[in-house]
Amino acid sequence: MDFKFGEKEGKLRKEIREFAKKELPPNWLSVMFEEEHRDEDWEFAMSISKKLSEKGWLTMSWPEEYGGKGASLWEQLAYSEEASYWGIPGTTMGVGGVDWVGPSLMMFGTDELKKKHLPLIASGDADGVWCTGYSEPNAGSDFASIRTRAVRDGDEYVINGQKIWTSAAHRSRWCWLAVKTDIDAPKKHKGISVFAVDMKTEGITVRPLLNYVGYHIFNEVFFDDVRVPATNLVGEENRGWYQLMHSLGYERGSVAGRGYGYNKRILDELIMYCRENHLFDEPAIRNGLADLSIEIETQKMLAYETIYKMSKGGVPIYEPSRDKVFNDHILEHMAFIGTGILGGYAQIDPMNRKSRWSKLKGCIENLYWLFPGISLAAGTDEVELNIIGQYGLNLPKSY
Amino acid sequence: MDFEFSEDQTMIIDSARKFLEKECPKEKVRELKEDEKGYDPDTWNKMVEMGWMGLIFPEEYEGTGMDFFDLMILMEEMGRNLLPGPFFSTVALCSLPILEFGSSDQKKEILPKIAYGEKIWTLALTETSATYEPSGVALQATLDGDYVLEGTKLFVPYANIADYMLVVARTSDKADPKEGITVFIVDAKSPGIKTEVIPTAAHDKQCEVIFDKVKVSKGNILGEPDNGWDIVEFIIQRASVLKSAEMLGGAQTALNMGNDYAKERVQFDKPIGSFQAIQHKLAKMLIDVEGLRFLVYEAAWKTSIGSQSALLNSIVKAKANEVFQRTCLESIKVHGAIGFTEELDLGLFFLRTKASEFALGDTGFHRERIAQELESYKPSFLS
Repeated sequence: MDFKFGEKEGKLRKEIREFAKKELPPNWLSVMFEEEHRDEDWEFAMSISKKLSEKGWLTMSWPEEYGGKGASLWEQLAYSEEASYWGIPGTTMGVGGVDWVGPSLMMFGTDELKKKHLPLIASGDADGVWCTGYSEPNAGSDFASIRTRAVRDGDEYVINGQKIWTSAAHRSRWCWLAVKTDIDAPKKHKGISVFAVDMKTEGITVRPLLNYVGYHIFNEVFFDDVRVPATNLVGEENRGWYQLMHSLGYERGSVAGRGYGYNKRILDELIMYCRENHLFDEPAIRNGLADLSIEIETQKMLAYETIYKMSKGGVPIYEPSRDKVFNDHILEHMAFIGTGILGGYAQIDPMNRKSRWSKLKGCIENLYWLFPGISLAAGTDEVELNIIGQYGLNLPKSY
Repeated sequence: MDFEFSEDQTMIIDSARKFLEKECPKEKVRELKEDEKGYDPDTWNKMVEMGWMGLIFPEEYEGTGMDFFDLMILMEEMGRNLLPGPFFSTVALCSLPILEFGSSDQKKEILPKIAYGEKIWTLALTETSATYEPSGVALQATLDGDYVLEGTKLFVPYANIADYMLVVARTSDKADPKEGITVFIVDAKSPGIKTEVIPTAAHDKQCEVIFDKVKVSKGNILGEPDNGWDIVEFIIQRASVLKSAEMLGGAQTALNMGNDYAKERVQFDKPIGSFQAIQHKLAKMLIDVEGLRFLVYEAAWKTSIGSQSALLNSIVKAKANEVFQRTCLESIKVHGAIGFTEELDLGLFFLRTKASEFALGDTGFHRERIAQELESYKPSFLS
């Protein structure tokens, strides 16, 4: 056992800290999900994406031939941790561009798709921003029940259907879209395919869905006779399920480091707030902060273990689910303890975080109102617990 | 980064697991609960032969020169099997501080006898106030030619069979309760010592030890007079991690038992583990136990490379307290009524939870230490 990072990671961490201090406004504190909502925030995030790209960090995990740096998983982890801790926006290129669209294209895409899209994502330009179209009104946790269809017509596929909860669709140039190509497949997950769809194609309508706070994060996306070149099919027809299982692994692998960096920052902010406001005298607050430190330290080690398994060439099946459930638990707990610490000030609308009464730039209120949504994204806790039961404990399938 | 055990460590795990399964079946654990001594001298001698007592002593003290991490692994295995006996009190509570703070004569005299299993040791620290805070040390040692010890220690593990004790006593009254504390090396057979086993639920031979004008010579001090709290602090931090490893082993067994039972037990024509109410409970137990595992490993690793952290050590013990208890309890619930019986081994683990939790500081004690660390630490974003 050895839980030390190497010199490379140490140097990278330092560079990222310097970058954050130089490029972000003074006392910057990121507020989760805000970058998709306001035009000015989105523009700022995209300007940072560009700079991250110039540094070679945006897609550092990718092989050099595709515009990456071939960074090790440990360097990636150090990057995700630091970027989240310092609240660097624009690290993802929409939802999935960096984390799974790119890597999936490398694994399953044609040379044409790779040549076209990988440099776009790696450049940090607006044309490399993706959204991900998985969920539908009747296919949430039961993803294989999607009904959006793609029917081959000469050199094209014609797509009809609807996606929902599509985050950042209103900011994206491309959609990583899962559809049914064979509705008669004996098992429903066998008829799924994945397409790269230009969001500017005729027949696509994006309708905003606001959350209860008023943020515009996700959308409904309607497909009405949308014609997509057959060359935009990713991998094999009807093999989409297997490809997605692969790329979901990438997504989940990235959650842990980011979650740890973000949570550590919020905890640090709370600690300083309590010190400045003499709240350390209150036993309930002392206990709350102690409990959060225990959980966040635990999260760190779980995240590192997952990355360790990946670094040894393993494909961790239940570990990312474990880490996600634990992150969701921390977010909830931190939201309760954090709003408890702010007391009356926790009532301020996070949309008005410039109010002179807003504390810690609204990040605590924001966490409180948004954690229910975050914990649903990319699989509910219940679905994740099923995965842990089935693959971590070898229990029978429970659904 | 490396999350794998070395070859030597894998050997320790394999041989310990085999040995303990053979030497310490649950019938033995049950027998020893009722046994007056509370340990099996035969097993003890075999542990000596395996080199466990002096595992981390240098060779000059008849040890095998392994490190703290290796000792932690051994504790985890003992926890998996609930091995009763004075290993923890002798090795974790006494030999480590002697190795660290003992004079060269003391080490030469004491450590080889521990390595050969000839002497059993224990630590007499807590008193009727039942706290690990320095304010809890009230037993008086008065200098009168020799020192004279007067007072009562409580929850002293295996004092009933100990040959020697480290006794934490107050030698002078200062404004700061951490000052004026001295650690004495005391022959357990000294005149004036009266020992009585306390009836704990775990039957783990914790004792009340009364010191009635017990004479201790000035030479039998560990470290320096009046500066003994540093030694206690050292013991609390090292032994917390080792106790947490033992609790981790126990929690892992409790999880395994619940998981096995959920696959076997059929109701409504299905194994109960196929119901989400049960499966999700077990999945959450897995998250608890794996989280504890890597925390314990991190703390032990840091200690073994000389960068131990008081914050991390307290995080580990607080986590172990909660996870061991919760995992036993949830496993009992998975088992249903059979989990509530004397017949099932699980109860033996659950009966240890309160003793383990109290040992080296309960959750409140460690949370408070964490909070104190947080009050003074400097977050990275201010750097």
